[in-house]
Amino acid sequence: MATLEENVTTQLSKEQVTTFESGNEMAAYAAAQINYHLMGYFPITPSTEVAQFLDMMKSKGQHDIELVAADGEHGSAGICFGAATTGARVFNATSANGFLYMIEQLPVQSGLRFPMVMNLVTRAVSGPLDIRGDHSDLYYGLNTGWVILTARTPQAVYDMNIMALRLSEHEDVRLPVVVAYDGFFTSHQKRRVDYFKDREDVQSFVGEAPSGFASSIDKDNPKTIGAHMNGDDLINNNYQQSEALYKAYDVYKEIAKDFATFSGRSYGTLDLYKMEDADVALFLLNSAAESAKDVVDRLRERGIKAGIISPNIIRPFPAEDIRQALKNVKALLVGERADSYGAHGANLAHEVKSALQEDKENDTIVLNRVFGMGGKDFYADDAEQFFNMALDAMEKGYAETPFDYYGHTPGEPEKALEPVIEPQNRETYNSGLIKVSENEETGKLDVRVPPLRKLTTKPKRFAPGHGACPGCGIFPGLELFFKGIEGDAVILFQTGCAYVVTSAFPYSSHKQNMIHNLFQNGPATLSGAVEAFFEMKDRGEVDIDDDFTFVMITGDGGMDIGMGSAIGTALRNHKMIILEYDNEGYMNTGSQMSYSTPLGHMTSTTNVSEERPGKPFHHKDTAQIMASTNIPYVFTGTEAYPQDLIKKAAKAQWYAQNEGLVYGKLLITCPLNWKSNDRDGENIMKAAVESCFFPLYEVERGETAITYDPEAKNKRIELSEWLQYMGKTKHLLKESNADLLQEFADEVESRWKTLKVKHETPLI
Amino acid sequence: MSILPKKNQLGFYEIRLESIGGLGANLAGKMLAEAGVLGLGLNGSNFSSYGSEKKGSPVKSFIRFCDPEVEIRDHSPIEQPHVIGVFHEALYKMVDVVSGLDSDGVVLVNSTRSFDDVKHDLQLEYGTLAIVDALGIANEERTKVNTAMLGALYRILDFLDPDAMREVIRKTFEKKYPHLVEPNIRTFDRGYYEVEFKTFDAPTDAKAREFTRPQPRLGYNTQELGGVISAQANSIQKDLSGSRIGFLPAFNQEKCINCAQCDTVCPDLCFVWEEGEDKRGRKQMFLQGIDYQYCKGCLKCVDACPVAALTDMTEELGYADENQVKHNFPLVTGGVR
Repeated sequence: MATLEENVTTQLSKEQVTTFESGNEMAAYAAAQINYHLMGYFPITPSTEVAQFLDMMKSKGQHDIELVAADGEHGSAGICFGAATTGARVFNATSANGFLYMIEQLPVQSGLRFPMVMNLVTRAVSGPLDIRGDHSDLYYGLNTGWVILTARTPQAVYDMNIMALRLSEHEDVRLPVVVAYDGFFTSHQKRRVDYFKDREDVQSFVGEAPSGFASSIDKDNPKTIGAHMNGDDLINNNYQQSEALYKAYDVYKEIAKDFATFSGRSYGTLDLYKMEDADVALFLLNSAAESAKDVVDRLRERGIKAGIISPNIIRPFPAEDIRQALKNVKALLVGERADSYGAHGANLAHEVKSALQEDKENDTIVLNRVFGMGGKDFYADDAEQFFNMALDAMEKGYAETPFDYYGHTPGEPEKALEPVIEPQNRETYNSGLIKVSENEETGKLDVRVPPLRKLTTKPKRFAPGHGACPGCGIFPGLELFFKGIEGDAVILFQTGCAYVVTSAFPYSSHKQNMIHNLFQNGPATLSGAVEAFFEMKDRGEVDIDDDFTFVMITGDGGMDIGMGSAIGTALRNHKMIILEYDNEGYMNTGSQMSYSTPLGHMTSTTNVSEERPGKPFHHKDTAQIMASTNIPYVFTGTEAYPQDLIKKAAKAQWYAQNEGLVYGKLLITCPLNWKSNDRDGENIMKAAVESCFFPLYEVERGETAITYDPEAKNKRIELSEWLQYMGKTKHLLKESNADLLQEFADEVESRWKTLKVKHETPLI
Repeated sequence: MSILPKKNQLGFYEIRLESIGGLGANLAGKMLAEAGVLGLGLNGSNFSSYGSEKKGSPVKSFIRFCDPEVEIRDHSPIEQPHVIGVFHEALYKMVDVVSGLDSDGVVLVNSTRSFDDVKHDLQLEYGTLAIVDALGIANEERTKVNTAMLGALYRILDFLDPDAMREVIRKTFEKKYPHLVEPNIRTFDRGYYEVEFKTFDAPTDAKAREFTRPQPRLGYNTQELGGVISAQANSIQKDLSGSRIGFLPAFNQEKCINCAQCDTVCPDLCFVWEEGEDKRGRKQMFLQGIDYQYCKGCLKCVDACPVAALTDMTEELGYADENQVKHNFPLVTGGVR
């Protein structure tokens, strides 16, 4: 934040209060004060907290924003776009691949000219997954036609969120706006921040939404929104958009000026630190620019005229202001937390160079370094290195290496990874203990499995040393399942806890072939591997005795965002297994609600208060959804009934090798986020089955069979006996929530009864 | 006049908390920082080490304080702190917890052991060692380790006002959990009064303990294309025993009926089996014991055991090493172990 010029009076400033909060908290706080109509969101680290804070504030009655938990970022962008067409004020927050997943929608929003504000909490885009901050996601946004503001501090996050909406809705602009700030460095670091005491002050600064623009709910003036065009027309639409984005430059300056009067804090298009007489300078985006300022002070003590340029807005790109700022600079190093692979420099270096090209008198030497990828820390000595490179270029009169990476390391050959264990393959996992045969009379499979003791001869599929929480239910569930699977497996993990804790580079807890893909696309990915395997086998290019069993593992809400892919894969009926470990939430990202979170359960996006008692709707019945795709085999299982699960796994393997797709759902305990005792996992699973919340059954060639009926065994318990184990459901047992508990119990009962009828009636 | 006892080049007084996920070090860090910034009007920042770490994995929390008019622009982790708080003693096996400690810095350790033993394990040469039995206090008061640690930290950070923290504790609990107010204030106070100090004098030419920035094991010449890992199952090289917070299962082979219920529920794949002959000479699998290197102490196995061959145990130093049965992995000959 630039300190305010002396001559700007603070008399007009509204009353402000000092707090100590992070960037995410301040983005949420600004949104709550503005009181947007709607936020459509999907959790992704490190932006998730924005929705969490808003949910918590809503549970305390602090705003009225309708928070819609989408089924993925593509959906969240659709929800936001739809809401924006009505003229509603719309808000979102995302990061990394979430931003990329919605990117198809971003030009729709800008090209059809509907305002909204989205916080992009910047993070590295996968390739190899990395949850920490760089700007590789932001750079994908450069060509979307959105205005992009960049916020270096939690204070700037708050302030820019207030300016952004007014800019977005301005009649000369009418474009959506991104406020981009650094994942973790800014989103999670708590700093001293001033905010406006009265939300009315914030609302009056933003002003009423301008009227007279298209609305999809204007009954007196019906509109066609989104007609298709040919080039003759599209070029004119694009021209309008281009003009509007350039106009946003002046509008931004105007709003920033007003904001300075209003708040006492000014944000020019560029944040210039000691640039007046600078010989050498760094051009850095967001938090790194702040860190580098300390180094400027140190260099200046040594007589080196150093400075920092950091833009507050990059779309539109402040080309003219950059030309002015660099007039007398001898050497500039543009440091970027993202690359434009193959372009001989990253994006902003090219834009700076192209701005300077217009100034025929400018002879600033421009160097470019890509640094700090994936949240790699940027220390003071790194900034000093950057200045040294610029000083070297200044002295030489040219840049020896105009473009390079910085901070990459060659590694030492003697530290290269060596194999640790012998390859574990078909022989390892063919125990010969699992017998599956087709029963011609029943048209079903007969399975024989030995006692658990005998099965301990069969090695585990996963290696110890994984980083799961104490008491995690994932591995007992998965290992029991794999007890029933003989021979070689190719296993795909969608993003989630099971993947994260087994695959933290350079360590792996996988013994067999493992593929990871992002968690909306696992089924499609594995189906590609399956079909390619069979094609290469048919051509005689793969020499193999027994076919692999292809297993896709998902959890942590992967059957929400990945449902489309799963259904498509099921309808194509590939020979593979989709196995879901259901922990009733997005536990990998901090326990946000998933569609399989049951009614009333507490998560970090379904906070509990008197007005809002947890998750507002019933849990998703994924097994029934998958069964209705008419795949050959669907099952449910849990660690508390090991023989039942192993048998189902054996059947799953047979069907996946002989007929087509299998879907299995394992309920597993997440002690951390269920707020249960680490040691209670198995008891909780048992109670979930005996209360009929999680019936054990299978749908084999279309026929439903309950495989464990607690009623028949006289073991049925009340739902509350299951719920009492978990902190996340304690409130449901209170007298004041009796109605909610009853509603939940009714739903469980209704699903159980339906299942029993299906069990008794082979035709349905 | 600055109330801060010491400052580094940028004007910061810095604190680093070392812990494992689940012990509340992040919350303690936040409360300390808020006490300085909102309570005393200092400027400050607070953040944690970030990653995909789960409960039981090493985490750090950082607190920077400076005078109100000093601007904080540095975002990087604290490498040379004035004070270090170690919430979990066993961490020293996984992390160099005292990395970068100032030569006249203070390190607070949650421990029941002697100054000399702790000093030896931490490889501390000089500086002030503070020891408090935060786990013991928390167990006795049925509260959390972090509250006792906060009490001890307040003794060290004597510019903070302990009465203000007592008030924060009161406000945190009194509405929803009024019965927890007194135990938590007692926990804080016991941490404050029961912490003990011993200073190991530094030679006159002593410098701050050297710190090393961890470097990745692999580089662009040695990392496989696309980040592929060929060393399958190399996580067996990890030692997770530091994830335990004081408890482990004890195994009594004489009582064991080899039913494998424990093996079925174990999240960390710790149970070691071997083929042998039963009384009638038939080949059978027998449970040999527990590979404690991977055991995180969840105790699910104890509840699953039908015959009490597995029991709860408060972990004593050395027990796991003496009683563990190692997995017989099919190691590659000449492979790294």
